[in-house]
This record gives sequence, C-alpha cells and structure tokens, in this order.
Amino acid sequence: MSWDYLFVQAANGAVIGVIYALIAVGVTLIFSILKIVNFAHGDLYMLGGYCAYYVIEYLGFPPLIAMVVAMGALFVGAIVLERLMLTPLYSDATERKDEYGLIVTFGLAYFLRNSAVIAFGPFPLKPPSFIPGVQRLGNLIVTNDRLVAAAVGITLIAALLYFMKRTIWGQALDAVSQSRDSAAIVGINARRFNSFAFGIGAALAAAAGALVAPIFSLAPDMGVLPNIHAYVIVILGGMGSVSGSIIAGILLGESENLFTAFFPDPTRAFAYTNAFGVLVLMVVLIFRPQGLFGRRHLRME
Amino acid sequence: MSERAELVRGVGLVKRFGGIVANDAVDLVVAEGDLVGLIGPNGSGKTTLINVLTGHLDPDVGEVMVRGQRVSGRPPHVYAGMGVARTFQLTQLFGRMTVLENMLVPGLARPHSRWDEVARRARGYLEFLNLAHLGHLHARNLSGGQQKLLELGRCLMLEPAVLFLDEPFAGVHPRLREELITRIRELHQDGRTFVVVDHDMESILRISRRLVVMARGRKIADGEPAAVRADQTVLAAYAGL
Amino acid sequence: MRGLPVYVLLVVAALLLAGADRLNAYWLHVAIIAMYYGILAASWSLLAGYVGLFSLSHTAFASIGGYTSALLVKWLGIPVLLGMGAGVLMCCALGGGIGWVCLRMSGPYLAIFTLAFSEIVRIAISTEDDVTAGMAGLHTAPLFQSATRLPYFYAAFALLAVSLLGMGLMVRSRWGLFLRAIREDEQAASASGVAVARFRILAFAIASGFAGLAGGFYAHYIGIMTPGVGDLDEMAKLVVMTVIGGMERLPTAVGGAFVVEVLLEVLRRYGQWRLPLFGVLLLLTMRFARNGLLTPLWLQLVRLGESRVGPLAAARDVPQKDPAA
Repeated sequence: MSWDYLFVQAANGAVIGVIYALIAVGVTLIFSILKIVNFAHGDLYMLGGYCAYYVIEYLGFPPLIAMVVAMGALFVGAIVLERLMLTPLYSDATERKDEYGLIVTFGLAYFLRNSAVIAFGPFPLKPPSFIPGVQRLGNLIVTNDRLVAAAVGITLIAALLYFMKRTIWGQALDAVSQSRDSAAIVGINARRFNSFAFGIGAALAAAAGALVAPIFSLAPDMGVLPNIHAYVIVILGGMGSVSGSIIAGILLGESENLFTAFFPDPTRAFAYTNAFGVLVLMVVLIFRPQGLFGRRHLRME
Repeated sequence: MSERAELVRGVGLVKRFGGIVANDAVDLVVAEGDLVGLIGPNGSGKTTLINVLTGHLDPDVGEVMVRGQRVSGRPPHVYAGMGVARTFQLTQLFGRMTVLENMLVPGLARPHSRWDEVARRARGYLEFLNLAHLGHLHARNLSGGQQKLLELGRCLMLEPAVLFLDEPFAGVHPRLREELITRIRELHQDGRTFVVVDHDMESILRISRRLVVMARGRKIADGEPAAVRADQTVLAAYAGL
Repeated sequence: MRGLPVYVLLVVAALLLAGADRLNAYWLHVAIIAMYYGILAASWSLLAGYVGLFSLSHTAFASIGGYTSALLVKWLGIPVLLGMGAGVLMCCALGGGIGWVCLRMSGPYLAIFTLAFSEIVRIAISTEDDVTAGMAGLHTAPLFQSATRLPYFYAAFALLAVSLLGMGLMVRSRWGLFLRAIREDEQAASASGVAVARFRILAFAIASGFAGLAGGFYAHYIGIMTPGVGDLDEMAKLVVMTVIGGMERLPTAVGGAFVVEVLLEVLRRYGQWRLPLFGVLLLLTMRFARNGLLTPLWLQLVRLGESRVGPLAAARDVPQKDPAA
C-alpha cells in the first residue's frame, strides 16, 4: 500500500474527525447541561444539511451563508422542540428523567427520520460545492470541499471555545457542563440556559450537516451512523468534556480511516469501518462503565 | 473480654475517594446486644463506615467479618442475608410499590420463605410501626416520617441481628422521633443490636449504651457515653469545626 | 370477581381463535405479525418496564434467533422446531452475557451499549454474506407445509400464549417483586437481600430468549431473513409500540403492539405519513400519558374486578400491582 494512499486516508480522516468533533460537542453539551442523551442528534445534523440545501436551491444564497442560515434555523427549531417536549425534565413530579429523555429523543429521531423521507424523498441529493475544484499536491488530490469543511469546522470549534472562555453565557456553559452546579448558582435563568444549550448543540450539528452535504450528499438516514459515532466519541472523550469530545472526535475520524487503510480485506473494510468505533466503545464500556474520562453518571435529580 | 457474640467486626478499614481518605484504619466491633451511637462532625466518615460495614462499599484495605466469616468484597445482599440490615440517610424506598410490597421484598428474598408466612410477618411489623392502615398506598405517598418507619420495617423483615440506622432522626417531627426512640428501645429489649448514626445528640445520648466517635476518617473514641463525652480529643474534634 | 382482567383476556383470545379461519390471507398475515411484535413487546417490557433496563438490542436478538435457527436448519438439516429451540438458547446465552457485561452501566450508557451491540450484529450479518446471504436475504425452511397461513396463525397464537404465561407467572411471583424493586432502587433492593446482579442477568437472558423465539418463528414463517429484522428502525418501532401501549405491564405492552400494527395496516392508504404519525403519537404519549395509552383501560378493568372482592380475598394476601400507578 502506497504512502499516497495512506496520506489521502489520513487527510480524509482529519476532515471526518473535525465533523465528528462538531457533532460530538453538541451531544456533550446537551448531556452535561440537560442531563439527557440526545438520540435525535444525528437527525438534527441531517436536517441542517437539508436546510442548507434548500436555502441554496430556493433562495439562491451561497453555500457558506446557507450553512449559517441552517445553523440559525436549527437553533430556533431546537429550542421550540425543547420547550414542547423537554419541560417535564424540569419538574420534580417527573420520575426517571433519564428514561424520559431517552424515550423522547428516541421518538423524536424516529419522527424526524420518517418525516424527512416523506418531505425530501428517499433519494440522495447533492448541493453545490462550497468551492468547486480540487487541490493537487504532487500525486495527491484533495477536493476543496473537504478542505473547506475542515477549515470551517475548526473555525466553529475555535469560536465555541472562545465563546466558552470569554463570554458570561459561554463561561456558564463551561462551568455547568463540568460540574453539577445548576445554572441558578451561576446566576442565569436555568430554563433559558438549558434551551440555549440545546440550541447551540443543534446549531453545531446543523453546521456539520451543511459542511458534509457537498462531499457525501444528503439522505434522510444520513444521521444514523454519525449519531452512533457521536456516542462513541462522547463516551471516549468524557461525557461533559467539550475539549475531550473534540480530541476524541478527531482521533476517531483518523483511526477509522487508518483502520480502513490497514484492514486486510478491502471488500469488507468499508463495512467494518463503522463497526470499528462501535467495537471500541463496547470494549471501553465493559472495562470502564462510566466511560474513559467520565465521572459517576450525571443524573438530573 | 465479653462473652457476647461478635456480630460485625471491621478490621483496619481504609476507604479512599480520589484524594480523600474517608475511613482511615478504622477498627470496630459490634457485639450482640450493643446499642451504639456513632457520632462525629460532618465529613468524619460515618456514612462511609456504615457503607463499608454493610457491603455497599468495598474497603481498600482491611476486612469486614460477620459472625466470624469474612464478607468484605461481597455484594450487599449477602450481608443482608447474614442478618446485617441498614437504613439510608435519605430514605430509599421502592416508591412506586405499595407499603406492603416494600415489606414483602426483603421477606421473600430470604431463602425458604413462604409467601403467606412472610405476609403475616409483614402485617405484624406494620402494626408494630403503626403503618398497617397504609398497606396499599404507594410508598412515595407516605409522609417523611412514615417513610422512615417503613424503612425500619423493611429492615426488620430481614430478621436482622444488627441494624445500622443512618440518621434516622434527621428532619423528623419531635413526636415521631419519640416514637422512633421507643421502637428502637423495644426492639433492643427484644435482643436486636443497633448502630445509630445521627447528629441529634440528645436522642443519641438517650438511647446509646456505647458511643463511638469519628473525626476526619478515624475512630477517636469508643466506650461508655459518660467517659467519651469527657474525653479531650472528642471535645477538641467538635470544637475544631 | 378476582382476576377479571384475565377472564376478559381469555374471552378475547377464544374469540380470536374461533374467528381465525374467517380471516382472509392478508388479515391473517397482519394478525401473525402483530403477535410476533406482541412477543417482542412483552419481553422488552419485562426488561425495560419491570427491571428498568432500557435495552436497544432487543430486535437484534430476534434477528440472532432467526438467523441461528435458519442457518442450523440449513446446514444440519435438523427439524425447524429444534432450530428454533437452538435460536432461543443462543439468545439466552448471549443475552445473559450482555446482561453481565452491562451490570455496572447505568441508564443511558446501557442504552448506548446495547445500541452499539445491535449495530455490530447488523453489520456483521450484512457483511458476512457468504454465510448469511447478507442483504440479498437468506431463504429459510418453512415451519409448516401448508397452503394457507392458518397453521402459522395458531402457532403464533400458541407462542404468544406460552410467552405471556411464562412471563406473567414470573411477574406475579416474588421474582416480579424483586425485578420491580431493582428498578425502583437498586441499592435498596440489594440492602433488602435481593441478589441484584443475578436478577439483572436473568432478566436479560429470559427477555432475549423470548425475542429469539419470536425471531425464530418469524424466520420460518416469512421464508426469508434479512439484516433489516434487527435494525434500528425495527427497534424504534418496537419502542414506539410498547411505550404507546404502556411499557410497564405485559398486557398493555402486547396491546400496544397489536393496536399499532393493526393501525399501521389500516392506515396504509395514507402512505408513508403513518410512520411519523406514530412518532408524534409516541411523543404525545410520553408528554401527557407517560404510563401508556392502554394503561388506564387496563387499570379500569382491574378496578372493576376488585370492587367485588369479598372478605375471603384478604385471607391469602396476593398483592397485585397497585391500581394507583
């Protein structure tokens, strides 16, 4: 196997890694602050991609603007959903909040996925490239879209980290996501804060979807696998650790692609690529049921 | 020294959580017929000790023996099966099961138990605790004090030799506290052994025949209440709050 | 009268049995599939509703049961029933294994782990297509040589009845109390003498065994096994069915499966919209009637039965699940 092939795989791995990181950061934020695992996260990613597509198609916006619009739309949409469905999580009368979060987000995912099939049709759609064309380095070809995806993704992550260090709400996000203190102690309206966190998570997922769409195209079930990868990352990187998710996301993207490169049987390699992360997850959970960096499971009550 | 049977013995128990040593080389023997008050400032490791002595935590160093048999490392239900019962600091009942069902669970968990006989015993204990009329209510619908009594009842269903009560008087109405104290005394007369943790000094001193004091993870005193109360190290520990 | 709900169920069952030969092939099929889901729903509710273990690998076990049976029958030529039995045993063993491995995992982690397991199973089955025929589908030996579906109806009925009987007995016995205690408060259950680990593993083994039974039957009824039997869409459908009906009791879980399956068929003319519709129904149920839509009906039945309880009933104290749930 040639160095070129390896290099391409590694480069792709980095791009995928950044995308994974974007998705996983959202899951982490939602888990740390709302204390639920968002099973619908992959479908928010999917909706973001489709939203950007339709903005480009019908409003004629350039792809990058469309991505921003998609982020905004999902931010608002997620908050609406959160208000509609997740308010019982804040009431003491609700029992087994973990389970409620699981089932509700699970049901939401089911609803979104099936609605998407009807609304957008089952066939893949491909939005136009961010920047058409490719870059050549010697024998290697890397599409511009992948470069854009990586660059924008990294920018967004950097922006988020900056936000979490420098603004009040950002610092609150950081604080609440790491410790059990409720937002009230930080002096912020708890319910608005939770909605905000949910919205941010969704917006990041939407960005990921929009960035990935020109590369891999859109399909109603495109969120299923990234969803699972998000859990792998979040559990490996530590539920509640944003930076952990970023690092783990990039690592997973890389390892998956390198795994594909090295897997002896090329015809099977691709199928088992997806299983790789999942297998790692299972092994980690078996030996450390609270995840690699997790503290004792965070609960709502 | 004493011919009374040794029920629970903790030897050199050490338990760490991260950087904190919650229990630091604690030795404790609970003998049949004891009524021990376990006291100490907040954070002195009392609840941890109870968790270790009842199997909910495994000691990092040291052993727990019940009736001479080494049990440390085994799950809590083994301890329960050997007659070691406990209540929790915040009552942990089976909320959406009825009061009666809460009593049936420990009763039926004992090997060779028959349903009708267990039900009969459950009714008996519920009468004793003045909860019989609430039998078909969900446990979560009881008042705080009633819940504490139910938890005690659940312990009794194990026919335990020793009961560890973790803050039974916390947040309890004075009249109910009297009732609790009376029940504990009655049960003690009947031959049951108690280890009671609480911050309510008055109640503890009223019922205890023996005081054990912990501070910062160590056992600093163990003996007759009068002697312990005069002990300088004990006074210092409380004063250093 | 005591046990009124049971008598009602028996009457309904008798009616179903009697009227079976009146149904045309299409509705027979719907009924059979409904009963397949019924077994899955009941066994999943045992795990998730009674013990509180939110497992997302249940349909994966149905798939494992189906493939095990189909492959053993194909390679070894054993009778189909034996193959199905082997499938059940395989699922019990694997299910117990998963239960053991998940002992220290809490709610969401357990859900994610079982989700991961389910995905691995699906991927493996899809990919190793020289063994399993992958996406093309594995042809299976039929359970009955029959022109009509009627024998399959009776078989499904029998399997459902046996499953409900078995699980029902378990749930009404002291084991049922222990399982519910584990869900309520695992620590307190342990302190009360319940061997929590043992029961968690047992619950997983038994529930997975029943899933394998359903899967094995399905394999030899439909005639072809595909990886889709165990995929996440199927699991999601199962969750939707069971939660809408009521995941905390066997009869409401089965009822949910029946109602949703039949409605899905009846609403077929509305096309794809019926799927998201049930998604919305699930969300509404969770938000406003978390115990399930059929639970009030069932409880009413129970209450009716108990209102005529006489003094004799107090003599043998058999506590029922409390009506005021």
